[in-house]
Amino acid sequence: MNDEQTRTRFETLLLPLMKDAYNLTRWLMKNQEDAEDMVQESYLRAYRFFGTFHEGTNCRAWFLRIVRNTCYTALGDHDLKQKQVPLDAEADEIEDTSPLPSVSLSKKATVESVREAIAALPVDFREVVVLRELEGLSYKEISEVSGIPLGTVMSRLARARHQLYLLLSDRKQHDQL
Amino acid sequence: MNCQECHDYIDAYIDNELDIASTIVVKQHLRDCLDCQQLLESRKAVGALLDNPQIRFAVPDSLLGRVQSALPVPRSAVRQRSGSRLVIPWFTIPLALAATIAVMLGLVFLNQEGVINRSQGNALAQEAISSHVRSLLATHLFDVPSTDQHTVKPWFDGKLKFSPPVHDFAERGFRLTGGRLDYLNGREVAALVYQRRLHIINLFIWPSESSRNTAAESFSKDGYNALHWAHEGFEFWAVSDVNAEDLRAFVDLEMQQS
Repeated sequence: MNDEQTRTRFETLLLPLMKDAYNLTRWLMKNQEDAEDMVQESYLRAYRFFGTFHEGTNCRAWFLRIVRNTCYTALGDHDLKQKQVPLDAEADEIEDTSPLPSVSLSKKATVESVREAIAALPVDFREVVVLRELEGLSYKEISEVSGIPLGTVMSRLARARHQLYLLLSDRKQHDQL
Repeated sequence: MNCQECHDYIDAYIDNELDIASTIVVKQHLRDCLDCQQLLESRKAVGALLDNPQIRFAVPDSLLGRVQSALPVPRSAVRQRSGSRLVIPWFTIPLALAATIAVMLGLVFLNQEGVINRSQGNALAQEAISSHVRSLLATHLFDVPSTDQHTVKPWFDGKLKFSPPVHDFAERGFRLTGGRLDYLNGREVAALVYQRRLHIINLFIWPSESSRNTAAESFSKDGYNALHWAHEGFEFWAVSDVNAEDLRAFVDLEMQQS
């Protein structure tokens, strides 16, 4: 395959994924400018690694893994350590056993309030929520993209959803008023 | 199963990620446990709020062009392009995009040419996948956008010589979103469009030449999955980028209905 064919194949496979890549970077980086930079950087990296892409590979997971790692590199170790879930908290059982507030979620939850709630999650939780709920990835794909084991995918998702529930429930909103 | 175990599994249960045995155990526990039912409801409530395409961020218009111009120019193309590269006026960007799309479509057609000698199933799978990709790229997903099977089915009358079976599985997570005419295997076919979360499933249907029913056969290429089967005198091709399990679940629903 010559350069031009490679380029065409690359564009055919990967340009349709830009909406997924941008959505992920936008949630991880939290602002548009950084998100756009990360998308561009991810495409450049993917182009460099395109030789390692084989027919039959899950293209979306392959590319989103690059996108995700590009963002994490940019966020930097320092930034991440502050936002990351402490290891001991991760090791704990899911703490959902406390009775849930017997309130329904606000029917009026706006797009904005849901976005705020997702943005308020630690980056590790936000990542699994975005990959699962907004990108519709399977647990196995999330594990491939993020490089975390399946069991951890499951427990982070559980904790993330629990936090979202608390953030979005009426009681919480009333408490804040 | 106790409540703690149920809590551990409830998310995988909601997401259809549990094996059948565990699913049954969770289901049994849920039937008897009010607390866990409440947990299930709270999870579903969160899920319902998140199941809204507007929560995603849309790609800024300029980003596609920006990425394309940042990618290295193929060596074989450098000679022709290098002279004019620094003085690209803004209006060439849409032209460049159009050219790219033309090249992409060209590649799709080339691929179709290239697989003719392979087995017919593979060739058709390739054609169905290309058709699926085209429907997404060309923003020509629907001729009739409707979530109502009673609108979509009659729409095909008079446009096709057959009446395709149309079912909606919104309650099972596969929402019918419309239909269109498409061209596949050298003939006009019905294309039904379903949505699974943010993924599109194209279901191509045309009358079968034999009345034989066949089990679903799977193909995959470039991250797309395709399933083919014949049932009650129709040929079916389901194509999507959803994972293989989800597509299989969709096909099972379709097979039970038709």
